[in-house]
Amino acid sequence: MAGMRRQTAIGYAFIAPWLVALAVFIGYPFLAGFYFSFCDFPPLRTPVFIGLDNYHELATDALFQRSMGVTLLYAAVAIPIGVALAITLAMLLAARIRGQAFYRVVFYIPHLVPTVVVAILWLWIFNPKYGLLNLILAAGVNAADGWTARFFNLEAAASGGDFASARVCLLVAVPLAAVAAMRLARTALARRPHLRRLLAATTAALLVLAAGTVLNAVLHRVAPVDMQKLHSPGWLSDGSPFPSAVSFAPSWALWALIVMSLWGVGQMAIIYLAKLQDVPADLYEAADIDGATWWQKSLHITLPMISPVILFNVVMAIIGTFQVFTEPYIMTGGGPEDKTRFVAMFVYDQAFMYQRVGYASAVAWVLFLVIVVLTVLAFSLFQKRVYYAGR
Amino acid sequence: MRLRGVHFGLAALAAAVALVAWLEPKPALKDFDPARHADFKDTWDRRVHLAYWEKWGSFEADACEAMIDAFNRSQDGIFVHYLQTSQVDRKAMLAAIGRDPPDIAGLWSNNVVPFATGGALEPLDGLMRESGLTRDYYIENYLKVGEVNGRVYALPSAVMTLALFYNKEHFRQKAPQLRQAGLDPDRAPATIEELDRYAEVLNEFEPDGTPRIMGFLPTEPGWFNHVWGYFFGGQLVDANGRITADSPGNIRAYTWLKRYAEKYGREKLLRFQSGFGTFDSPFNAFIEGKVSMEMQGVWFPMFIRRHRPQLEFGVAPFPCAEGVPGPRSLMECDVLAIPRGCKHPREAWTFVLWVQREGMAILGRLQGKNLAIHRPPPWFHQGHPNLELAVFEQLAEAQHSFIYPQMLVGQEYRDEMIRTFEHIWNWPVPEEPLAGLSGAERQARIDALCRAEVERTLRAVRENIQQKLDDKTARARLQPQEAP
Repeated sequence: MAGMRRQTAIGYAFIAPWLVALAVFIGYPFLAGFYFSFCDFPPLRTPVFIGLDNYHELATDALFQRSMGVTLLYAAVAIPIGVALAITLAMLLAARIRGQAFYRVVFYIPHLVPTVVVAILWLWIFNPKYGLLNLILAAGVNAADGWTARFFNLEAAASGGDFASARVCLLVAVPLAAVAAMRLARTALARRPHLRRLLAATTAALLVLAAGTVLNAVLHRVAPVDMQKLHSPGWLSDGSPFPSAVSFAPSWALWALIVMSLWGVGQMAIIYLAKLQDVPADLYEAADIDGATWWQKSLHITLPMISPVILFNVVMAIIGTFQVFTEPYIMTGGGPEDKTRFVAMFVYDQAFMYQRVGYASAVAWVLFLVIVVLTVLAFSLFQKRVYYAGR
Repeated sequence: MRLRGVHFGLAALAAAVALVAWLEPKPALKDFDPARHADFKDTWDRRVHLAYWEKWGSFEADACEAMIDAFNRSQDGIFVHYLQTSQVDRKAMLAAIGRDPPDIAGLWSNNVVPFATGGALEPLDGLMRESGLTRDYYIENYLKVGEVNGRVYALPSAVMTLALFYNKEHFRQKAPQLRQAGLDPDRAPATIEELDRYAEVLNEFEPDGTPRIMGFLPTEPGWFNHVWGYFFGGQLVDANGRITADSPGNIRAYTWLKRYAEKYGREKLLRFQSGFGTFDSPFNAFIEGKVSMEMQGVWFPMFIRRHRPQLEFGVAPFPCAEGVPGPRSLMECDVLAIPRGCKHPREAWTFVLWVQREGMAILGRLQGKNLAIHRPPPWFHQGHPNLELAVFEQLAEAQHSFIYPQMLVGQEYRDEMIRTFEHIWNWPVPEEPLAGLSGAERQARIDALCRAEVERTLRAVRENIQQKLDDKTARARLQPQEAP
């Protein structure tokens, strides 16, 4: 018994440094922040208790509401895109191809670059005139418009006139002809799988091309301003929403930060990859025997098996969203028109720019509660869809 | 047995680390560096060593170090150590809270109120009186920057005065067109209305309507968007300290700014501006020749000559709107303050006093700026690197020049006015009220719509900031008066 007690004491002694640090650097600020949230507290003065005043002010603070809106919008758009991209990337990285290790390293490297460096790098990439992104975008959009203009009068599309030319028929006829040819040749090419695959790929390409052309023309018709802007977006300095018809859509500046956030998706992909390696191969073998396609296997085996990791990543991403600070602070300073003023920046401004530590503490506590609510919501929403093999 | 050995080893290791940490001499300000302090070897130990936190980098830091070196050589009782400190205000604030502030802090003008009202600065009035430093020694506005509730808490070091910079090459190239428009190509515009007319002649556009050269662009450099109203006779607070964001002059100013956005197209201006380089580079819009006229500070000639020495430019007072008396300029300055609780306040004052009497001139000369005092020493003007200095000196002494109001909500107000500028600039004029209108009638309608939005926005700013000011004033009364 004495030995047991001694062992326990030694155990506590070993974790004591960590416990002390936890209490001093996290526990105390956490509780002190709660008290300060009920105080008027310019950092150079003594905190004075003012009751719920800070929380009352918070409820009507338009700038706080805007910051919260920006943060939630960012979360709503960036998290699903990030998760989808990371899963896709992980599945590609899991494929047994030559140079697999190299690709894994390449996609993880961006995560190692310091945030400030990343922000400065992307400032250049987003430069509307000389930036790499607009260079590529303009080339792509110009090529697409040039192609579409062979079938549609895009100027008339923008002005609302009759924009389809006679050549539009080709967009329908050619892919249909290809589909018909493929069907007819199916039996003839049964013994020539390479030729059959080539024909199928050509047909698919023609269908995609035709659909893309029509889609581009339709977009010129319904969203001429956006399509025009797509040639050279102002990115970080443009506060107008995209798409412009949706008033609550993210601004171009916020889209820029969302695009940039995908730069670090490799880290999330590595976590998915680790879980993917864990999926039993016999499940895929059984599915193969049943004649399941790649898509069916992904949907019914891969995703359920990695669902605990998806939930983990979503929860971490939600928490991370409320901590977004460095990138907008360096790249936009919260502008244009507060369209990238994240709630973490709001807290910083209140505490250090306006010397209102009490008010900033109240905001921080509200944020804490919002994160708790969103996390609980995420758990309760996904609880039934998450598969834990151990249970 | 084995486990006990591990425990003993770990404990021994911890003890060794603690011992080394204890015995290791801690770096101190007094540490003598033979490479840097050789000239002061004999007097090193008997000097009082002061820590001076300052924000400047690049050639401005060199100027400050040269000034400090001159002080250190001028006597043998004090040695000032220049500690270049980014975000000096935040760090000085944390140091003040931690009760270990530097002896001298080089702050920005907007730091004075929060620091002084927080009890973090030594009042300097008494020391000034003792030392015979009088108000009339200074240009009034620069002294006011360091004043809070009638007491002086900080004194000027380097100053800021603004003027209109214009590209003489552009003026010469467009001389016939300027004359045709009834304008003199050999001088700068004298009123805002004239500035607009000059700008219109100097503008050049690409075939798609995107500017190639803008005669004037209010968003370049975009650092003073909170004070445009002063050039239209507006003000931000009245004599009683009430917020006047929607004073007629401010409304006039923001309506004028909006006209630029509408006339040349926000999208096209955005595209044009995206090609501008950073301020301190050859690709600065003015230095590169993309903008013909802009409002800039007294420091700018040094930067122009550094990046494009052959550029022919002129400097004149920034024009005021017709009917508004001028010349006028926003006046600000970096300040020196002695944090309360510092180790050597007396010696710090000796240094601050020396800066006011001698050092400021060295600093101004090397940084290419004018001074905060009426009568600089005779040598100050001889070979001064800023050849346009006379204009800035005239503006500093001008009756209508102004400072940004020193108030409890100064930073919030500034940010709110900048936000207002962005909002007005980007506000899309609704199309419905313009249906069926054209020409002058359409323009008049656009002006009326914009003006209504400007009025509405500035009114909201006034109410919001006044509320914040009232709240902060009421809460400041709740605070105990002693320092933390």
